[in-house]
Amino acid sequence: MKKVIVSVVGRDRPGIIASVSRILFDRECNLENVSQTILQLQFSGIFIATAPEDLSARLLEEELARGLSPLGQHIFVNDLEPAEPDPVFSDAEPVIITTRGPDRKGLVSRITEIIARYGANVTNLQAVFKGGDDPNRNIMIYEVDLPRSGDPAGLYADLRKKAEELDLEISIQHRHIFEAMNRI
Amino acid sequence: MLSEREILSTIEMLRNEHLDVRTVTLGLNLFDCVSHDLSRLQENIRSKIDALAQNLVPLCNEIGDKYGIPVVNKRIAISPAAVFAAPFSAEEMVSVAKTLDDAAKSVNVDFIGGFSALVEKGIAKGDRALIEAIPEAMAATERVCASINVASSRAGINMEAVYLMGKIIKKTAAKTADHDGIGCAKLCVFANIPEDIPFMAGAYLGVGEPGAVINVGVSGPGVVKKAIDRALEENPDLDLGKISEIIKRTSYKVTRVGELIGREVAERLAIEFGVVDLSLAPTPNVGDSVGEIFQSLGLTAIGVPGTTAALALLNDAVKKGGAFASSHVGGLSGAFVPVSEDLNISDAAASGHLTIEKLEAITSVCSVGLDMVAIPGETSAETLAAIIADEMAIGMINKKTTACRIIPVPGKGAGESAYFGGLLGQSVIMPVRNLTADNRFIRLGGRIPAPIHSLNN
Repeated sequence: MKKVIVSVVGRDRPGIIASVSRILFDRECNLENVSQTILQLQFSGIFIATAPEDLSARLLEEELARGLSPLGQHIFVNDLEPAEPDPVFSDAEPVIITTRGPDRKGLVSRITEIIARYGANVTNLQAVFKGGDDPNRNIMIYEVDLPRSGDPAGLYADLRKKAEELDLEISIQHRHIFEAMNRI
Repeated sequence: MLSEREILSTIEMLRNEHLDVRTVTLGLNLFDCVSHDLSRLQENIRSKIDALAQNLVPLCNEIGDKYGIPVVNKRIAISPAAVFAAPFSAEEMVSVAKTLDDAAKSVNVDFIGGFSALVEKGIAKGDRALIEAIPEAMAATERVCASINVASSRAGINMEAVYLMGKIIKKTAAKTADHDGIGCAKLCVFANIPEDIPFMAGAYLGVGEPGAVINVGVSGPGVVKKAIDRALEENPDLDLGKISEIIKRTSYKVTRVGELIGREVAERLAIEFGVVDLSLAPTPNVGDSVGEIFQSLGLTAIGVPGTTAALALLNDAVKKGGAFASSHVGGLSGAFVPVSEDLNISDAAASGHLTIEKLEAITSVCSVGLDMVAIPGETSAETLAAIIADEMAIGMINKKTTACRIIPVPGKGAGESAYFGGLLGQSVIMPVRNLTADNRFIRLGGRIPAPIHSLNN
């Protein structure tokens, strides 16, 4: 068996996951992981499944596209090559970076550029920009894995400097504080 | 993956509700420093504190930064000095206090507590020397805190010690008259003193404690107040049972912060983690006040009728939520009502809503006692002792800790203001009845017997 990764993007409506999973089931695929989210009424889902060796990604993509065309979804299917996790991140420190401040273009770009420069990996990003100067309407929350071999002091200093330039309030905290306070 | 709500509510507590770890206190057993030679004892104390506490402050700051939680105070609590310095005179005890002060400054901690004696059943030679040294020791040092346990539920109240402490508090105030008697702000008289308090001025390390231990004092009155405000805004008909649930949940979160920070500090210092003290400790800042919680609960001010019931609810809910959040809870674990350290409480005293008698009453359901209460300087030692005796009786009978940290402000009378500065704050001087009246009861001395431990009515 091999693995395939299916990406589905389009306007959200009832039946998208039901259609994708039925077609995968009909083609003897077995779902391993699914993640989906909805942003401003747009659905986005990623499905990872094991599939028969002789099922080509292209054929599966065509079938899914046919099956989901009434629902107006865009489908992308690829074979998933086996890969090992990067050992640099095996014992990385999970850090939460949160910013609040006036909306302007390029906020995500300028913050992530620094994160990337220090070799840290964004594992989750939630960003809401409703516009205007009210900091509570414009929030970015990055969950970042920072390799222990990295330079946290340098990263934090650069992030704080950039936040000041952009007039953002920034908090940089180890993930454990949020888990300790909010989860039993 | 954390939810946006989990992250933002935590950050809100830190940025706008004054959530912090109020103190990480390193308990150090100094019994192995003993010597009949004073200079040898002092050298041993310096060496031990330097060796074990030199990393405390930078480490607390580092861990505070890591989690984005300020560790406001770093402190040391030591074995009772009256025991490890028992052979010495009062004058020599003052030298010991100065050594402790120097050692505290050398490792950059805010306070060092444990200039203490336990005299609930009798006063030994070292105890008397230490008590007599207190006025000079409090005047000559900045960071040393003293505590004297004069009563317990098992021993009763040592009335000789109570009267003695009335006199000592007067002398301590006189020695620091230039600063409104601030020496008394570093001096607590206790009933049932716990062995693991991280908060000052009562912190000391009991004889049953490990050689070195980290105890943590959490805070969070602002967080509790905001949680109540938010809940009542969403549902103005919320009843007290439901408000109690909200306080419990909030206390859980606050306590988890203390537990996380304390355990990491202990692990990094390779010493034991002791307890989290679940106390709501205010500061003289708006939004970081225990007094404001009473107003959120619908009272005009702390001190008006209903205060005792509200405090009973608050204290119990804090303990229930906190006990679930921590594997080891100890210390004082009660809402503090330090008059000068809480802007709202000192305002309630100034406006006449809060009196000493009401303060005393509320200590029967919680809180630690008459804490940071400024009273007229002319209050006699006998009246001071009588106030202490009343407070000790509440602790003794109710099997709880009570304490007195009262400041007879030299040269000032009721209605004037006393200024202590910093976290110690400022307060109106509260009126005391029978300021200088004769009090034969106090002079009778002896020991009020321990209470019967059944027939609990």
